Amino acid sequence: MIHFDNVTKVYSHQSRPALQGVNVAVEKGEFVFLVGPSGSGKSTFLRLILKEERPTQGGIHVAGKDLSKLTNWKIPHLRRRIGCVFQDFRLLPNKTVNENVAFALEVIGKPRRFIRKVVPEVIDLVGLEGKSHRMPDELSGGEQQRVAIARAFVNRPMVLLADEPTGNIDPATSIGIMKVLDRINRTGTTVVMATHDAAIVDAFRKRVVELEDGRVVRDQSRGVYGQAYGGV
Amino acid sequence: MRAQFVLQEIWIGLRRNLTMTIALVVTVAIAMALFGTGVLLKMQVDKSNNYWSDKVEVSIYLCNKMSANPSCHKAEPTQGEKDQIEAQLKAMPQVADVTAETQQQAFQRARERFKDTPGFSDTIQVGDIPDSFRVKLKNPKEYQAVVAQMQGRQGVDQVINERAILEKFFKILGGLQWAAMIIAAIQVVAAVLLVANTIRLSAFNRRRETGIMRLVGASNLYIQLPFVLEGAIAGLIGGIFAAVLLGFSKVFLLGRLQQNLQFATSLGWLDVIQVIVFAMCFGVVLCALASFLTLRRYLKI
Repeated sequence: MIHFDNVTKVYSHQSRPALQGVNVAVEKGEFVFLVGPSGSGKSTFLRLILKEERPTQGGIHVAGKDLSKLTNWKIPHLRRRIGCVFQDFRLLPNKTVNENVAFALEVIGKPRRFIRKVVPEVIDLVGLEGKSHRMPDELSGGEQQRVAIARAFVNRPMVLLADEPTGNIDPATSIGIMKVLDRINRTGTTVVMATHDAAIVDAFRKRVVELEDGRVVRDQSRGVYGQAYGGV
Repeated sequence: MRAQFVLQEIWIGLRRNLTMTIALVVTVAIAMALFGTGVLLKMQVDKSNNYWSDKVEVSIYLCNKMSANPSCHKAEPTQGEKDQIEAQLKAMPQVADVTAETQQQAFQRARERFKDTPGFSDTIQVGDIPDSFRVKLKNPKEYQAVVAQMQGRQGVDQVINERAILEKFFKILGGLQWAAMIIAAIQVVAAVLLVANTIRLSAFNRRRETGIMRLVGASNLYIQLPFVLEGAIAGLIGGIFAAVLLGFSKVFLLGRLQQNLQFATSLGWLDVIQVIVFAMCFGVVLCALASFLTLRRYLKI
């Protein structure tokens, strides 16, 4: 589903590469934790999948497509097959839960009838039934993140990228968020989650890819967060 | 769905920068109105020029009792002298046609021409305008030779080259036209800068929305269209105001000009509407294009 083939990324204003010779293959339906300290290249890894950045060297394939051969014109179509969730939720404050989720479908031109059908289903799936008419500022952090996940998943992407989705949420609520992501993963969606949250990584025992200074230093199925930063 | 969504986004954009939108509308309106006025003046000049170029004549007024020219000695030339002058004119290679106009005919024509100002036409008398020859030239620009030969000839009071008089008016109109065009050009530059600024603000105000749109894979057209249409609509509203201003321009500027300067041709409303449509299209395209080019800088795809 996601193949990184000897990928190096150097940002133009920096001498040190953000990623260096990264080889990672994520297959369909996998759940992968991407761990590592700040600045280790986790965000760059996610941005490369979305083609928000181009690799300096190496090739990337996402959903069977060679990103280097993807024209700018086709990038939106790539992004429709990838859902994204962020630490800061990125909801539209002047729209209700329902409208926030529907927005993702409206802007890709889905018919109104389809939107009316699928939006409530996804809101139920993330556990927000009965809250579809709330505004984001009336919701807790965990609930806001559920809205963001619903928006990312409503178009049934093949891949869900999550960049520190539990970063702004207390541990108890984080477990709930992880259960939602797990439920999405069980529908066959590939999930890649960048995180600092050792407790969650250790609890879920999924595949762990650890980055350090732009290199993959560990790739372990059913792994833990790691000795150097974990435990505490 | 699509149309409703786009319209909603445009409305939000325009409302959020209301002051910038107003400034933009006013600038576009003034630019287009001045531009249109320039074009109208040019059309007026061209049309009148065409009309007059085959009608301008060199008029040779003969002496009569009221002539101020001392060489006339306050006496009309004899029929023999008149015939001589006419023969001489007809012999000139530049001359296409010569018509004699008697005092009586000239009087009739003047009455007819000034019939709208009764106070003036009533005071005209037979003999105020002397006998004359109206000389039509083959090429209106070659009046010099005719003027030179007739000026000061026995029995000739005055030689009036109508073209020289008309050219003065056309020069004034031409000057007005250029002034309007230059100010319009400056306003167009201001309008482009204002569009750029408005769209930049708009893109900044809506960066959350556009960020999410990008993320969920909205097409570039979908992301950019509301902004481009926002510019185009501001241009259109400006254009509507410009249309009203051009209407005033037609009634008050050209209308008065026609009354006062006795233009033979007047621009009809059809011409004015053409100019209005053209000015509006120009305004809309200008704003849309300026928005689009601005977006390329401020809206990452």
